[in-house]
Amino acid sequence: MSAQAKGLGAGPRSRFNSWLHHHRQSAYESLNKQLLTPISTLLTWLVLGISLALPATVLVALDNIDRLTAGVDRSTQFSLFLQADTEEAAAEDFVADLAQRSDVATATLIPADRALQEFAADTGLSAVVATLDDNPLPHTVVVRPIAMGAAALADLAAVFDRMPEVSQVVLDTRWIKRLISALEFGRRLTYAIGAMMLVGALLALANTIRLEIEARRAEIVVIKLIGASDGFARRPFLYTGLWYGIGGGVIASGLVFGLLWLLAPPVNELLRLYDSDKVLMGLGAIGALQLVLIGGAVGLMSAWQATAVHLRRVEPR
Amino acid sequence: MIEFKRVSKRYESHDALRDISLTIDTGEMAFITGHSGAGKSTLLRLLLLLDRPSSGELSVNQRPTSAIKRRGIAAYRRNFGIVFQDHQLLFDRSVFDNVALPLVIAGFGRRDVNRRARAALDKVGLLDREGANPASLSGGEQQRVGIARAVVARPRILIADEPTGNLDPDLSAEIMELFRAFNRVGVTVLIASHDLALISRMRHRIITLHEGRLIEGEGR
Ligand SMILES: Nc1ncnc2c1ncn2[C@@H]1O[C@H](COP(=O)(O)OP(=O)(O)O)[C@@H](O)[C@H]1O
Ligand SMILES: [Mg+2]
Repeated sequence: MSAQAKGLGAGPRSRFNSWLHHHRQSAYESLNKQLLTPISTLLTWLVLGISLALPATVLVALDNIDRLTAGVDRSTQFSLFLQADTEEAAAEDFVADLAQRSDVATATLIPADRALQEFAADTGLSAVVATLDDNPLPHTVVVRPIAMGAAALADLAAVFDRMPEVSQVVLDTRWIKRLISALEFGRRLTYAIGAMMLVGALLALANTIRLEIEARRAEIVVIKLIGASDGFARRPFLYTGLWYGIGGGVIASGLVFGLLWLLAPPVNELLRLYDSDKVLMGLGAIGALQLVLIGGAVGLMSAWQATAVHLRRVEPR
Repeated sequence: MIEFKRVSKRYESHDALRDISLTIDTGEMAFITGHSGAGKSTLLRLLLLLDRPSSGELSVNQRPTSAIKRRGIAAYRRNFGIVFQDHQLLFDRSVFDNVALPLVIAGFGRRDVNRRARAALDKVGLLDREGANPASLSGGEQQRVGIARAVVARPRILIADEPTGNLDPDLSAEIMELFRAFNRVGVTVLIASHDLALISRMRHRIITLHEGRLIEGEGR
């Protein structure tokens, strides 16, 4: 009662509770407002939903290509050239360790001497080789990985490359190398195009929120006049953006599921004809959640941008 | 205490206020009058930091307002209750929600909000209309809702700009009585009005402006 009598307003605890309450209320009211105008809300959701769904579908397709080509070519192998000063005994230990790895099917050591003999035999240059004082060739390990996708092969090559015993890694299968590059290119292109589409969607959303700020100009002026902070005036619009974003993310997940559902029967039939036991993989719960989160983030950012620029201009005169 | 020290306000080439020095004590009730365009609204707008003086200093409770930056304005305005000529109610929500708004902004808990908003509505005699839309009320009732909203957070200073401008004489007198009642419980009240007949009957200080100059009632 004493704080009230002095006109100081609410205590800190009650202040926090009411701050929380205003958040809940802003969240509830902005969602409610959107659901009261379902058509225009759906259109706004679609703008973001489509911008998210297209790149997401392409990424899912690239993942499927990667996965479905895993182990198609059983001859895939790495050649690991060891450091020049490696002793043969150490090389043998290293090979034994490699063979223990779960992602390695076989690992075979080609000692430097044998490599030189084979080289001489293969090239017919034994006379030249005989004149050499030292063997210029290192010990080499031929590694056959278990069946895995192109991206995983590229990762494994990087792992080998980081090993201190290894001086150079060569992946012997050209088409795998090409596929790795092509998939990586496809992925980056999709990220770039997806980012541009998201920026477009973000600007469209920000414009929608700008229009809502305009429509509520009178209300904003009044609440600022009676002492509302910028944060208080901003809160409902941030939630509006968040809901648009989350709605867009849900729509995007739905679109990706729908597209893959349409594609699945013919693709799975094709796989069956190739005697593969694999099936087309969808977005998955994690992928869907990611889309919703990205959507929410984009919505929040667009509201942040719109309020930062336009809410400041709505000042009582 | 509100203190204007040699305050001027210039709009482009036009002087809206010229060299105003004026003190209004805590707990006082005073009227600002003058012809249309005399500078009454400008004076109140400077006090609410809706605009800044071109020169001079304006202090509230010994605190110079020139020290208040943009971020501090919202908290500063919460010291005031404001009544507008056109009431400025929000028609997208109920009478109760309009009155409760300053409490929500000030961060009161839900229970306090309910209790205080009802008490304020009771004081202006509109408790039975709390669920109504303000658009459905008469002009006098709307102005009373505006007053309830202005006093609900128990501000120390009540500001009104032509609060009876749109009302007939009976309703105007009723509204003025309401302001007086708040003044009696210690609220500083400052009302701009050009209705001399009404305010001269009320025996409170009358501050008269003429073409931006203070010509009467400057106080100590
Ligand atoms: N924003 C503004 N820009 C330019 N001139 C203004 C502005 N606000 C007020 N004025 C001028 O200042 C003078 C005083 O206005 P005001 O304070 O509204 O008078 P009152 O409220 O006493 O009728 C008037 O001549 C008005 O035209
Ligand atoms: Mg005026």
